[in-house]
Amino acid sequence: MKVNDAYTNMAVDESLAKARGENKIPDTLRFYRWKPSAVTLGYFQSVEDEVNEEALRSFGFNLNRRISGGGAVLNSESGEITYSIVLKEDDPRVSKDPVESYRFLCQGLIDALAALGIKADFKPINDIIVNGRKISGNAQIRRYGAVLHHGTMLVDFDARQMFGVLKISKEKLSDKMIQQAEERVTTIRRELQRHVSFNEVRDALEEGFQKALCAELVKGDLTTYEEQLIKEFHSRYSDQKWIYRR
Amino acid sequence: MKRFAYKVPGGKLVCVKVQEEAGIIKYIQYTGDFFMAPEGDLEELEARLFGHKTEQDSMKKTINDFFSGKKTVIAGASADDFAFVLIQALNKDGN
Repeated sequence: MKVNDAYTNMAVDESLAKARGENKIPDTLRFYRWKPSAVTLGYFQSVEDEVNEEALRSFGFNLNRRISGGGAVLNSESGEITYSIVLKEDDPRVSKDPVESYRFLCQGLIDALAALGIKADFKPINDIIVNGRKISGNAQIRRYGAVLHHGTMLVDFDARQMFGVLKISKEKLSDKMIQQAEERVTTIRRELQRHVSFNEVRDALEEGFQKALCAELVKGDLTTYEEQLIKEFHSRYSDQKWIYRR
Repeated sequence: MKRFAYKVPGGKLVCVKVQEEAGIIKYIQYTGDFFMAPEGDLEELEARLFGHKTEQDSMKKTINDFFSGKKTVIAGASADDFAFVLIQALNKDGN
């Protein structure tokens, strides 16, 4: 589970999708973390509407944009594990229907949480919830002949950071914003009422995805081709024109 | 600049910022946490609406025809939602 800056993390995900689409690598599951923490916007989101840039700067976090749609997340250095899965776009297990495609690729998360002793459900379109509270958000994109599914699993939560940097639109939440928002989110440590290490969560995620995808995982490193792609994509992800495109 | 944001019930947020002059769209940008594939269709839709007259039925038809013609896959919102926020934004007072 490597720790990278935001732009490298997004560049690695895209390189996996391209290499998978070109049949240069097998189906791949990746776990990763972030340093420094970053706010990652969905492809169609507006920086101005979603991010408190002053708070972002004061925390020393990066601002980042995905190639996939969906909502802004705080990819926290200390609070979450991110994962990505790449499969061929024509993989018969992956439905063309967005919700069914999310349901299939999110099952590994439900199985992982079950392995930890947490009962979770898929909430369409792209969330995993525990007792009505969101614990994981996911996004997918089809590009290069591959499906890239990436998402975040909350292990711990710092409300001051999350709601300091993310603007929650009034259309989504009414007054008592933070209180309500806090009630909508949960974490693995909160559910289990104990310290759970990142390695324990990663092991559970491995187990969950192996079960849900009926796959045997084999540990591997990035290929030279992927390393080349990462360099190429990194410059785009870190470009201010990309980040501030909306 | 006029702005309207709409949280689709059971879906995602769709927001539009739009500027009109003498019944013609002079600037338009959609944002939100919806999913759309291919992603580039949104820019194409905006380009299609730039310079468009602000007559409601005509805008609705352009948006619906665009998405159905392109076979765009949208999750968390529909073509009608994109038309709805645009009409609501343009109906606001001021510019």
